[in-house]
Amino acid sequence: MPQEPNQPFKRAVVALSGHPNGQRLVKLVAELAKVHKAELVGVHVVEVDWSMPLDMDVAGRSDEIQQVLDLAEGTAEAAGVTLESVLLQARDVGAALVDEALERDADLLVVGLAYRTKFGGDFAIGRTIPYVLKNAPCAVWVVREPIQEETS
Amino acid sequence: MSDPRKPIAGRKPADRRVRVDRPHSPYFRYTGPGQLVAKAAAHEPKSALGRAWARFRKIAIGRPLASEEEIGERLSKKKALAIFSSDAISSSAYATEEILRVLVLAGAGVALSLSLEVAAAISVLLAVVALSYRQVCRAYPSGGGAYSVSRANLGALASLVAAAALLIDYVMTVAVSTASAVAQAYSVVPSLYDARIVIAVVAITLITTANLRGLRESGNIFAIPTYLFIFLALAMVAIGSVNVITGQAVPIEQADAVETGTETLGLFLLLKAFASGSVALTGTEAIANGVPAFQPPESKNAADTLIAMAILLGVLFVGITFVSDGYGIVPTVDGGQTVVALVASTVFGAGSPLFYLFQAATALILFLAANTSFNAFPRLAALLAIDGYMPRQFAFRGDRLAFSYGIVLLAGIAALLLVAFGGDTHALIPLYSVGVFVCFTLSQIGMVKHWSRVRDAGWWWRAALNGFGAVLTAIVLVVVASVKFLDGAYLVVILIPLLVGMMLFIKRQYDASRRELRVKPGLVFKAPQREERAVVPIPGVNRAVIQAVNVARSIAEDVRAVFITEIPEDGAAVRAQWERQVPGVPLVVVESPYRALTGPLQAYLDVLDSNWPKDKPEPITFVVLPEYVARRWWERILYNQSVKRLRSALLGRPHTVVVNVPYRREDPSLSDRTPSAPDEPKPT
Repeated sequence: MPQEPNQPFKRAVVALSGHPNGQRLVKLVAELAKVHKAELVGVHVVEVDWSMPLDMDVAGRSDEIQQVLDLAEGTAEAAGVTLESVLLQARDVGAALVDEALERDADLLVVGLAYRTKFGGDFAIGRTIPYVLKNAPCAVWVVREPIQEETS
Repeated sequence: MSDPRKPIAGRKPADRRVRVDRPHSPYFRYTGPGQLVAKAAAHEPKSALGRAWARFRKIAIGRPLASEEEIGERLSKKKALAIFSSDAISSSAYATEEILRVLVLAGAGVALSLSLEVAAAISVLLAVVALSYRQVCRAYPSGGGAYSVSRANLGALASLVAAAALLIDYVMTVAVSTASAVAQAYSVVPSLYDARIVIAVVAITLITTANLRGLRESGNIFAIPTYLFIFLALAMVAIGSVNVITGQAVPIEQADAVETGTETLGLFLLLKAFASGSVALTGTEAIANGVPAFQPPESKNAADTLIAMAILLGVLFVGITFVSDGYGIVPTVDGGQTVVALVASTVFGAGSPLFYLFQAATALILFLAANTSFNAFPRLAALLAIDGYMPRQFAFRGDRLAFSYGIVLLAGIAALLLVAFGGDTHALIPLYSVGVFVCFTLSQIGMVKHWSRVRDAGWWWRAALNGFGAVLTAIVLVVVASVKFLDGAYLVVILIPLLVGMMLFIKRQYDASRRELRVKPGLVFKAPQREERAVVPIPGVNRAVIQAVNVARSIAEDVRAVFITEIPEDGAAVRAQWERQVPGVPLVVVESPYRALTGPLQAYLDVLDSNWPKDKPEPITFVVLPEYVARRWWERILYNQSVKRLRSALLGRPHTVVVNVPYRREDPSLSDRTPSAPDEPKPT
């Protein structure tokens, strides 16, 4: 698919973590994809511990896991865009996302970031996003959720 | 297809990943744990015939719509006037003629001298009804149809009478408006008269198709013909009135006028003319029914639009009557021009472009009037179905979010009426007004009760206005029903109680089944402790039977086959084969000298029941029926007739479950290559 001038992306892989912020993320990307007629691939990665075989049936039978992708599909559809959903099992979420983006020749990888603090102190970014930022060959958008005002 | 569980290599050896198959994804979407929403693919048919039918439906009525695709558009007063008023305003196209057709019986001179007075009296009635319904708009912002108002204030029986009258009214609106629209067409092209029924049925079919496609009345396409008719009709009345007042109107010569002066003028004839002309009031209630469709403030906008509609209708109705009097126009014999067409051709000039435009606009607004019923009837039927007074199918919405059953039923009855009455508007009119005035009266009585219960500021004068409306419409109802009784109104008088009885019967059936099926909230249900047994009626030994026996073995330990035959030698042959090929499953051969199948099987089951120990709970008997599935639809008539009979006979049997085990010809599990079934006979 030839990229048009001013088209920010032609195929985006959207990482779906299952966090409630994910729907906002999908809506945002879907609205942009609709304007620019881009393709969307929603990827949810289930991390499988080294103590278990990688091909063990962990994700396939879980309603909650399927729901993460189905909700994203529905959100994109409501915005008028088709989202191809992909469910992966991997040892490391970041590596699986980057590899999937590479395989699909995506020019954008979108990841959501929940606002968390480490033990109530420093802002915690986790290990997946630094890995993706460091290793993804395509553009990476990190969309952080708004900071919730603390109620005490 | 690649193996979905095969790990895919990543950039580094340790970065492998597995793509997990999501088989539900094309058909369902999870919305919560254990909660699925079906996608469009889930209801796509699997068989070739089903797919062909679905393709045809898609072409005919469009692609299926999801529930969330329903569009709710609020209407401005201008748009709402066009959409809700087409039924009422279009009646001005035939109301004058209905008065004249009665009065000419006493002579053309009498008809022309009295028709204006009758029209004026009907307009006074229209004013009272419109003012009364204005109150309904304010009291019932969620839509104040006669059914809703009666149900809220007068109880179930009165609301059912209103519902029955409304259903008849909607059917009559379709029939009368379509017949009148076709009459406008053959007023211009007289050769169409002979094809009037075909044209009317084709028109109803087109309107039905459009409504099954989910046609919405909110488009401008509905506003244009209505405003075109209003504009041209007002112009016609204005020009005609000026001509009449200034003395320029010369009575026209009519070669095809109906025979006049066959009866003497009396009170009965006058009342009959009044009753016939009161069809002008049909459709007045449409705005009160549709208050929620208006832009806010809904009630005020609806009430204002209702008054505008009543004024327009009154002006057009009285105006057309005044002009037709001025030009000495009397109705023509069957197949001739309508009165409104004669007025138009006289005022605009016969054969003038304005005349043709007016006739086209009149036909269009009449078709639109028919279309309004296609929205109202199915909605009322759905409401009644939800309340349990009509079969539940009427509440189901079809592929295009339309209440398909109601639409098809309305079209069917209206088309039948048109055929039965020869597509003649005047023959249909006597059936029309009774239902309308029943609704008016019940609605107004309901409103009196509403105001006396609510008792807010000014309640007494509101109640008085509705009370006056109720008395007046009740009197008109009695007049209409009695003077037109023999002309056809008796059908409606009979039909309303019949429909009410039918609705009460349906309600009683649903209530009874609900009571029977009700689960007491306090009960907790545990797994049953009852024993099971399986009985397999067999027609011989074949693959379908073997499959059924295997299913029976998976259901219960106590399995027996029953072979019912009228030829004892067949029994011996089947037994020999059975014992050789199906060891472990006892076979009971029942000889049936009277050649019956279902009776001996039921009797055998009864015997099994009576042999069961009395101290143990009754077992569940699974009757497992082998069924051969033919590949093609037309082959199906050749197979399974006995299975169908057995299934019907056993359906109501206590403690009995009928299990159908279909055998498909291509089922590989029982093919000749299967070692356990080497030499089975071909399926029967």
